[in-house]
Amino acid sequence: MADLEIKDLHVRTEDREILRGVDLEINRGEIHALMGPNGSGKSTLANTLLGHPAYEITEGSITFKGEDITGAEPHERAKAGLFLAFQYPVSIPGVSVANFLRMAINAKREDPIQVKEFRTQLQHAVELLDVDRAFTSRHLNDGFSGGEKKRAEILQMAMLAPDVAILDETDSGLDIDALRTVAEGVQRLHDEQGLGALIITHYQRILHYVKPEFVHILMDGRIVLEGGVELVERLEREGYDQIRQEVGAGPTGALASGDGSV
Amino acid sequence: MALGSPANGAAPAQPKAGRHRESTLYQALAGAGAGDGRTLAQLREAALRAFESSELPVWRRSGFWTTSLETIDLDALQTGAGPEASGGERAAVPDVVSRTLPDRARAGRLVQNVNTVVEVELDPTLAERGVILCSLQDAFRDHLDLVSPWYSKRLTIDRHKLEAANAAFWSAGAFLYVPPGVVVEDPFEIVYAIDRPGVAQYARTLVIGAPTSEFRVHEYDLAEDFDSEPDGKRQALHAGAFELYLQDGARCRLAQVQDWGSGEVFDVSSRFVGVGRDAYCHWLPALLGGHLVRQHLELAVSEPGGDMAFRGIFFAEEHEHLDVFAVDLHETGPSGGDVHWRGAASGESRASFEGLIEIDPGAQQTHTYLQIHSMMLSPKARIDAIPSVLVSSDDVSASHGGTVGELDEAAIFYMQTRGLDRPAAVRIIVEGFFEPLVAELQDEALEEVVRKKVAGKLAAAREDIEAYATSR
Repeated sequence: MADLEIKDLHVRTEDREILRGVDLEINRGEIHALMGPNGSGKSTLANTLLGHPAYEITEGSITFKGEDITGAEPHERAKAGLFLAFQYPVSIPGVSVANFLRMAINAKREDPIQVKEFRTQLQHAVELLDVDRAFTSRHLNDGFSGGEKKRAEILQMAMLAPDVAILDETDSGLDIDALRTVAEGVQRLHDEQGLGALIITHYQRILHYVKPEFVHILMDGRIVLEGGVELVERLEREGYDQIRQEVGAGPTGALASGDGSV
Repeated sequence: MALGSPANGAAPAQPKAGRHRESTLYQALAGAGAGDGRTLAQLREAALRAFESSELPVWRRSGFWTTSLETIDLDALQTGAGPEASGGERAAVPDVVSRTLPDRARAGRLVQNVNTVVEVELDPTLAERGVILCSLQDAFRDHLDLVSPWYSKRLTIDRHKLEAANAAFWSAGAFLYVPPGVVVEDPFEIVYAIDRPGVAQYARTLVIGAPTSEFRVHEYDLAEDFDSEPDGKRQALHAGAFELYLQDGARCRLAQVQDWGSGEVFDVSSRFVGVGRDAYCHWLPALLGGHLVRQHLELAVSEPGGDMAFRGIFFAEEHEHLDVFAVDLHETGPSGGDVHWRGAASGESRASFEGLIEIDPGAQQTHTYLQIHSMMLSPKARIDAIPSVLVSSDDVSASHGGTVGELDEAAIFYMQTRGLDRPAAVRIIVEGFFEPLVAELQDEALEEVVRKKVAGKLAAAREDIEAYATSR
């Protein structure tokens, strides 16, 4: 059984069905890319996996490390080892990055983390993400540039050491330096901590810096194509329209059922 | 009004004629107080006459706001002074004081329970340097020359019945004098406690910062929770009058922690802070609870070069009613002002904050800004924030801004995905909302007191906040 198993997931928001039967399996230590055009349901999947209250699961299940978490509270999923790096991180005025991290780490532990241990971990993460130490004294995401917000997301990911992280369009709006830092951070957490990651992206750019082993293409709420890194190259050559025509012509039901080969 | 010299012979307070007043019902004192050379006995007598001839006050603001004291049974309240108080058992510091005040280094402390001073301590080395901390009653006996020029210099005694009651009936009070050039790092703590229902406390504070003195004052207004009195008596009254005068170049950080607990405590107080030439005051009241609270807070920059930061925090819960009128008054220029308040309301509480910037004729080169931010934590809570500006000089800048917010669900979800449960996330948001001001206290022990009180109120409002979330 995979660490994260998504089975036949149907999700609606208000009165619209957005995900129409998604199947996906992700293990610790695996890097997956989920690609798709705008409006295909990528962010819905990311938010649903962490239990956003605006998304209603009408069918299917999410299992994490053997536990059914389909109806679990967001913080329970996080404590179990899931993480979401947001496309648009929210600012939390009045709370410093360091204090926030300490609270988040302590929420996962029985006893509060020792000051020294916390400092060591923070220093390590700060170096990994190539940010100034003063960065951690600033209020979380408050007045941060786009690049700083994304670095702060990866910094949190490094500190909270999840088993599986979902990165929702972390590459959007980043200049090339920030993109490289963020991507290298993900790659190193994968290499050093065995992080499993689902990198959700519209573009191929980030995948030049962090190499996925598995690539899934989401269209109209279903995964229509799966493969290895060669799929990224194909997408780069042909674009989404070409793929849409191809899969649209065929029996999408079979493709979307997720039993296709990887 | 010059602060540097006594105001002997000044005219009694009169409303200034011809001012534009439509924008606000609440009026700044903006003038001389009652202390115009009369003796204390004469002032008491005048106040008594005002008390006897006036009704309990009702404050109205055109149609949508009323603060009424009609429900208080004033006749049933004892003053608790005199022989009753010297009986012995009342002479102890109430538990609520020991529970609330931080264990920390202090310059001195005065505790008044109901209308009796039950503790006065002052660092002996400060006493040697001329610092005075004693009851105001004792100060009138022992330091008349210091007290009489300043007593009620800018506070009136007859605008309403409870102000008159305070001026007529106060019996203990607090007096702090910091001599010229004396710099004190640790705070002076002045505590008004009410340990039982059925009493009226008349609190009277006078603080004088002599030229170039520097010090901190922390006032605590606390009551025991008296929910469970067998006779059903839960009412108490705190009618307060506070004045602080900073002379040339004096600097003071003044903070106030007010929480009247769960009893039916009414608090009607006037506070005046006068900032003299090149003086500075950082003033931060934290109004954290009371059945019905009406605070008139006035900070006046009275001489050139004066500067101030006027901060404030409030948190109303359950059925509390809070009415704050905060005045940023500039009587001369150049002067600076910066008013920044933050308030939250839960339950079915009502809070009104009216902030007034008033710049007098001749107060040229005054620059001031007023901002008020409020956060609603329940669908039935209400906060009205009314900024107003009265400017009578042309070479000035005065502006205001503010926000009204609710809990940000996106921020809550964000924090939940980091493993924090919903109550923890709410707490972080609300504490973060107050934090910019709490951190400005620049006093760790006091900051902790305020943070703990805010956290306690959030915990109490937990179900309410949950219900609000699901209703949206």
